[in-house]
Amino acid sequence: MTQKTARSKKPSSKVAPSSRATNVSTSGFLRVSHSRTHSRSINASMSRRSFSLAGDGRVLEKAPMQPARATVKVFDENGTDVTPQPLYRPDPAAVPPRQSKILMAQDVSGATFSDFFSSAFHTTYASFGGPFTRSLFESSIVSKSSQSTMESLNEEIEEPSSKREGIISLSDVQVRREEVKEPTTEDVLNKKVDIHLTETETLCLLDIPATSVSVESEEAEIVKQRNAAYTELCKNRMGNDKYVERAMQTFNGAPKAKEVQTKSITKVDAAITATNWDIYDTLSGTGVEGVVREPPETEESNLLDIMSNHSQESSRNLERSMSFLSHTPSSSSSRTEMEVFLVPVEDAPAPEVILYSEKFQQDLLVMEKVVLQNIFQPKLAAYRQLPILKDPDSTQKPKDTGKTEKQIQKTEDIPSSPALEPLWSFTCELTVGRNVSSMTWNKMNPDLLAVGYGHFDFEDQKSGLVCCWSLKNLKWPDRIFHCESAVTALDFSGHNGCLLAVGMHNGSIATYNVQSKEKTPITDSSEYPHKHTGPVWQVKWVSQERAHSEEEKGEALVSVSADGRICKWVLKKDLDCVDLMKLKRTKSERTRRQLGERERRSELVIWREVPGLCFDFHPEDSNIYLTGTEEGFIHKCSCSYNEQYLETYKEHKGPVYQITWSPFSPDVFLSCSSDWTIQLWRQDLLEPVLVFTSPCMAVFDVAWSPKWATVFGVVTEKRLEIWDLGASILDPTIVQDARPGVKLTSLQFASESDCILLGDSDGQVGVYQLNLNLGEGTQVDVLEDIIRSTLASQL
Amino acid sequence: MAEVEETLKRIQSQKGVQGIIIINAEGIPIKSTLDNSSTVQYAGLLHQLVMKTRSTVRDLDPQNDLTFLRVRSKKNEIMIAPDKDYFLIVIQNPSD
Repeated sequence: MTQKTARSKKPSSKVAPSSRATNVSTSGFLRVSHSRTHSRSINASMSRRSFSLAGDGRVLEKAPMQPARATVKVFDENGTDVTPQPLYRPDPAAVPPRQSKILMAQDVSGATFSDFFSSAFHTTYASFGGPFTRSLFESSIVSKSSQSTMESLNEEIEEPSSKREGIISLSDVQVRREEVKEPTTEDVLNKKVDIHLTETETLCLLDIPATSVSVESEEAEIVKQRNAAYTELCKNRMGNDKYVERAMQTFNGAPKAKEVQTKSITKVDAAITATNWDIYDTLSGTGVEGVVREPPETEESNLLDIMSNHSQESSRNLERSMSFLSHTPSSSSSRTEMEVFLVPVEDAPAPEVILYSEKFQQDLLVMEKVVLQNIFQPKLAAYRQLPILKDPDSTQKPKDTGKTEKQIQKTEDIPSSPALEPLWSFTCELTVGRNVSSMTWNKMNPDLLAVGYGHFDFEDQKSGLVCCWSLKNLKWPDRIFHCESAVTALDFSGHNGCLLAVGMHNGSIATYNVQSKEKTPITDSSEYPHKHTGPVWQVKWVSQERAHSEEEKGEALVSVSADGRICKWVLKKDLDCVDLMKLKRTKSERTRRQLGERERRSELVIWREVPGLCFDFHPEDSNIYLTGTEEGFIHKCSCSYNEQYLETYKEHKGPVYQITWSPFSPDVFLSCSSDWTIQLWRQDLLEPVLVFTSPCMAVFDVAWSPKWATVFGVVTEKRLEIWDLGASILDPTIVQDARPGVKLTSLQFASESDCILLGDSDGQVGVYQLNLNLGEGTQVDVLEDIIRSTLASQL
Repeated sequence: MAEVEETLKRIQSQKGVQGIIIINAEGIPIKSTLDNSSTVQYAGLLHQLVMKTRSTVRDLDPQNDLTFLRVRSKKNEIMIAPDKDYFLIVIQNPSD
C-alpha cells in the first residue's frame, strides 16, 4: 500500500525498467520504505547483493550487456523527454565501458548513470571496489532522514554518480590528453591560435540536499503525508506480525595487552629570561661580551664551543647571544643555575695572563685610590672644604666626635686665631732623603702636582727625580721620571696640560708628556749646542700674545740660568732657543769709583754675565718681565729689547731668590733674597714700598696667596711664615717651624683650596690647611690702602 | 709585571686592608691574601652579586656597563672592580 501510495504520489516519471532486476528493485523498494533503523541492514543486503552482482559482473565483464547500454529515458507525464543529459560523454575512441552487474541494481532505480558507473567501475574497480560502493551507499543514505522512497534513492544514488563524475572527468581528461599531441612545428607555433574562454561545466562534487522542506513548496504535502504515514507505521509496529525483532551476536575479539618499554626520557627544564640588555646585545650583534654563558657541560656543547671559539669574536657572540641554555639530553651533571655571563669555554684566560694585563694594572691603581680615599677621607674633605663625613659605624666614636666638635667650634668662632693645620704629606720611599727643589700645579687639572727633587748645592749631586702626585693617591706618585741631574725648576704648560718642562742642574731642559707612561722626555736640550751652561734656576711657559716674526701665537718656554742668559725656547723641528736677554754685570756707582784702575783691568772679567736666579712675567702684559740676579738687582725687561733693561731696582744686598707679581694688584710685586729681607715693590717706584725683615735668615721662597691680596707666604730655612698685611705689616701672622733636622725649601699655594704645600729637604711635601678667617673678598683694596698709606707716611 | 706586584703590595700595606682576592670570570680564585675557606666563600658569593648587579645596570640601559661596586657594611667595606676576565676584590676596614 505504502508502496503504491508512494508510487502514486511521486512525480510521475516513468522509468523504463530493465528486465532483469525488477524483482530485486521492488524488494529493494519495499525494504527501503521501512523505517530508518533498518535502512542500514537493508542497504547492507543491497550492497551485498551488489557485491554478488559485482562478483558476477567480473565474470561477465567481457561481455557488454546490450540492454544495459541502452540509455534510460525518463519521460514526463506528458511524454516529454526529460532524460537528464549525461554530464559525461565518453569519447568514441575511448575504451567501451564495460558493464558490471552492479549497475543493474542501480539501473533499476532509474538513474541514467549506467554509462558513468560502468566506466567508473572499469577504471576504479581494482582500487575502490567494495568498500567504495558500500561507503557510497552508506554515506548517501546515512545522511538522509525519513525519506526512503525511490525518489530519495534516486537522489541518493545520484550522489555517488555525481561524486564519480569528478573522477570520471579526470580519467576522461587524462585519456584526452594523451591523444592530442600534434607535432609542434614552427608553423604551428607561428599560427595564430584562437583561444576561446568559456565557462566550464559546473562540477558538483557534493550535494547534500536539505532534509527539511519548506511548508510552501510543492512537495510539502507529500512530505507531510509521508511523515504521517511513518508515525502510523511506528505505532503499528508493536505487536504487528509483520515486524520481527531480531538480535545478532557478534564475536568479541580477544583483547590483548601489549607492553613497550623505552629508555626513560630525561626531561630538562629550559628557561629564557629575555633581559633588556640581552635583546640589545643580540640586536647590535657587536662584540659586546658578557651576554651569555654556556656552561661547559656536555662534550658536544664543548666541541661546538671550541669550534666556534676559533671563529671570530663577533660570530661567537652572535652564537651565544641568546640567554637560552640548551641542554643536551644526556644525563651528565649539569649546573642548573642560570649563568648569564659570556666566558670563552675553551679556557678562562690563564691566571698569569690576567694578572699581568694592562687592564688589571689600571684596575689595581683605581682600587688603590679607592682604598686610600677611604683612609684619608677626612683630610681630603678638609682640603676640598667639604664637610667631613662621620662614619656612623666606626668604633672610634669619641675621637671622631671630638674632632668634629673642634672643627665646628673653629668655623663658628670668627675671631679664632689663624692657624695652620697639617693634613698630610706627599712622601714615599723614593723621595726620602731628596731635597724638594720645586713644585708646580698642573694648569688643567688642579689635583695634579709635580714635584722636583734635586739638591741646590754643587756637591752632593744625585740624579734628579720628578714625581707627579695626584690628590687621589697620597701614598704613591702617579708618574715618576728619573732625570740625569738634579731637578731645579718645573713648570706645567698652560696650553697643553700634559707638558711638563724640567730644568736641571746641568743646564739642560727637558719636556715630558705626563699623559703617557713613557719615562723618557719628549725633548731634551742636553744635546743642543746653545743650551745653558749653568743650572737652570727657573723655567716658565709663557703664552705669546703678540705674534713675533715667525712664531705663531702659542706658548714659549722661557728659562733663566746661572750662565746669565734668559732664553726662550721654541720647539720647531728641533729645539731652538732665542736669547731674550743676557744679564750683564752692572756695577753700582760706588764700586766703580772705588775700583779705579783695577776696574779697567777688571773689565776683562771672564765672566761678564751675572747669574740670573728668577724671573716672572707680568700677569697682564706678557712682554714685560722682571728678573732677579745674583747681584741683588731686579731688572725689568721687555721681550722686544734684548740688550737693555727697562728698569733696575737696586735694593737687595744679596742674591734675589724669588720675584713674584701680585695676582690681584697689577703693579705690585714681591721679592725675597738672602739678605734676610722680603721687599714689596711697586712697578713705578725704584724704592721698595715695604720691607719685611722678620726672618733672620735667608729667604728662599715667597709666594702670594691666590685667594687674598694681602696674604703671602715666606719660606726660610727653618721657618714658614704667613704674612697678612691687613693684620700686621711688621710681623707675620702665622709662624711654623720646620721639623727638627729638616730644612724647608719651597712653598706653593693651592689654587682651589686654602692649603699650602711645603717642601723640605727630606723629600716631603707637607700639605697644610690655612685658616685665616679673612672673609670672602680678595682684599685688594686693603692692600692698596696699605701701600698708599705707607707711601704717604714715607713722604 | 713587577708593577703589578708592587701595586698589590702597596694596597695590601695600606691601613685597614684586610684582604685582596682576585678571581677569574668563572669564580675561581687566582690569588688571595686570605685563607682558603674565606676566599672561596667570598668568591662564590661576590661572583653572583656582581652578575646580578651587572644585569641590573644593563637592564636599565643596555649601553651602560658596571665599572665598580662598593658594598659598605657595618664592619668593613668590600670593593669590587669587575672586568670581563676577572674580579678584583679588596676588603677594607677603614676605621682600624
